[in-house]
Amino acid sequence: MSRKRPFDRDASSLGAAGGRAKSWKRPLDRDASSLGAAGGRVMSRRVNAFWGLVAWLVGIAFFLPVAWMVLTSFHSEADAGTNPPKFGASLTLDGYREFFGASTGASPWPPLINSATASIVSTLLVLLLAIPAAYALAIKPVRKWTDVLFFFLSTKMLPAVAGLLPVYLIAQKIGLLDNIWLMVILYTSMNLPIAVWMMHSFLAEVPVAILEAAAIDGARLPTIMRKVIVPVAAPGIAATALICFIFSWNEMLFARVLTGVVAGTAPVFLTSFVTSQGLFLAKVCAAATAISLPVLAAGFAAQDKLVQGLSLGAVK
Amino acid sequence: MSVTSGVSTGDTAEQQTQASAPERKRGASLHRGEGRRGIYLVAPTIILLAAVIGYPVVKAIVMSFQKDPGLDKATGMFVSGGNAGFSNYTHWILQRCGTASCPPGTLGAEFWDSVGTTFMFTLATVVIEVLLGMWMAVVMNRAFRGRGLLRASVLVPWAIPTAITAKLWYFIFAYDGIANRVLHTHILWTGGEWASRFAIIIADVWKTTPFIALLILAGLQVIPAETYEAARVDGANSWQRFTKVTLPLVRPALMVAILFRVLDALRIYDLPAILTGGGGGTGHATTTLSILVVDQIRGGFNSAAALSTLTFLLIFLVAFIFVKFLGAHVVQTQQRQQKGTI
Repeated sequence: MSRKRPFDRDASSLGAAGGRAKSWKRPLDRDASSLGAAGGRVMSRRVNAFWGLVAWLVGIAFFLPVAWMVLTSFHSEADAGTNPPKFGASLTLDGYREFFGASTGASPWPPLINSATASIVSTLLVLLLAIPAAYALAIKPVRKWTDVLFFFLSTKMLPAVAGLLPVYLIAQKIGLLDNIWLMVILYTSMNLPIAVWMMHSFLAEVPVAILEAAAIDGARLPTIMRKVIVPVAAPGIAATALICFIFSWNEMLFARVLTGVVAGTAPVFLTSFVTSQGLFLAKVCAAATAISLPVLAAGFAAQDKLVQGLSLGAVK
Repeated sequence: MSVTSGVSTGDTAEQQTQASAPERKRGASLHRGEGRRGIYLVAPTIILLAAVIGYPVVKAIVMSFQKDPGLDKATGMFVSGGNAGFSNYTHWILQRCGTASCPPGTLGAEFWDSVGTTFMFTLATVVIEVLLGMWMAVVMNRAFRGRGLLRASVLVPWAIPTAITAKLWYFIFAYDGIANRVLHTHILWTGGEWASRFAIIIADVWKTTPFIALLILAGLQVIPAETYEAARVDGANSWQRFTKVTLPLVRPALMVAILFRVLDALRIYDLPAILTGGGGGTGHATTTLSILVVDQIRGGFNSAAALSTLTFLLIFLVAFIFVKFLGAHVVQTQQRQQKGTI
């Protein structure tokens, strides 16, 4: 925490950091509060404690609906149905047993596996395509590279529905409807622009000197990629992968229209599950919690990388 | 703009490298023929995007100029296609079905309503999210216990799938649900005209505000403390420090964040589609443009293609206005941040 550092050191490093924008080498937890001056330190600590409390209250307010969902998922149907909710009710795993088909025999595994396949394979493909492209744009700029970057950005303007209909017709023609590999291709294309954009931001901060040293030592492009770029940009690659994974896992519109019984993904399964089991709150909450779990686990495991990635991908 | 460039002391190897070789541009060729190789690296991405995103969109535009199979309303004859000219577009814009105006209740009569609904959602959610997010970011920018944990937990609403968000709020807003219980009201949240709109706005604000707050927070953290210190020495109070220091320095990043958020909000589909079943109120109180397109797909592909093209044009127009008049310079902001002049 920079609060413990002498003020002048703090200011200079902050100034340098400001000059280089958001370098991924800096820990994000840095305290950039405006209250670093030695004078009002005791005062400012008290003020910070107050605002910290306020921030926590707001944070908890935002977290409350999710907490309710998770708690309800562990309740019996009788307790889940009461209003106001019973917080002290006894906990049970019945909701989860029902979600995994204890009484109906309908297994949630095929949609979960479909979602995992689509998310993981498309994320790997995105990285495979985005890293070389971003490298070319960031380190060896293609002529008019701003135009290329703006092209990548412009796909954000397209309403997803604009492409949906032709994609449906084309998929019908080549027999890819209700096939998970169609979703892999679609998710790869949807996430590519934002991935190139993010990777470009990360790679632009790789020192040219390292690349030159490698080139002088006789390394060729594939070697430079594998031995220099990928290790140096690893945090950026992790952040990009995480965001692509979350977007693919959560995508709903295309999955709803283009998949059916065979290739349905987890969110599609959830909506149909809710339609058939809507009155059984605990069961539905268990399903929702189970389907949210992979993205929540991924997000918690790498939360600061996620925040860095988001700010690079969306703000820059 | 260049508030911080003068104080850079270069505490990383990277910056020292740049300082020692200021005349060399980033990306100066290391080998001959590198420009060509750069194109080979970008080409796979461009080809995939052209095939999977570009081609369908062009195809949609072509389709939008063709007639849908069906009874020709003017002649009463069955037509199976053919050149439609701009009739699919005039159908939506002028709300004309054949020679008469579309009767209320049909999709054709809903175009301008859903344009209004979409823009209303966009305006309401973006304004609330940016103001609330700004406030949250300023608060979270202070040092306090467990800030890292708090930052992780506010991301939860953003990370869980929208389908689940929508269902979660569907239960909260049920007639005998928690919202009515807590507020001591008997509101038909998913049925009433304005109640259902409020429900969607609340759910969207809940989902996206923490995300916006974190984006703004990342922007706040690069503002050097000494800038605030100087303002404080000059006698600025905390409100003045916010409006004269924080806002101008965060503005470029903020504008780009708002632009991206607006583009997303204009395409909103999942939340209204699930939370209110796309309808709400009298049947189309929460029908956004994206929902109208999906509804229309069942009623005629080519007409739906015209509608999605119109939606794209509207969004493009908004983005253009942002970039042209409000200074959301996406590429320039990124470049300048890299050169270190912001």
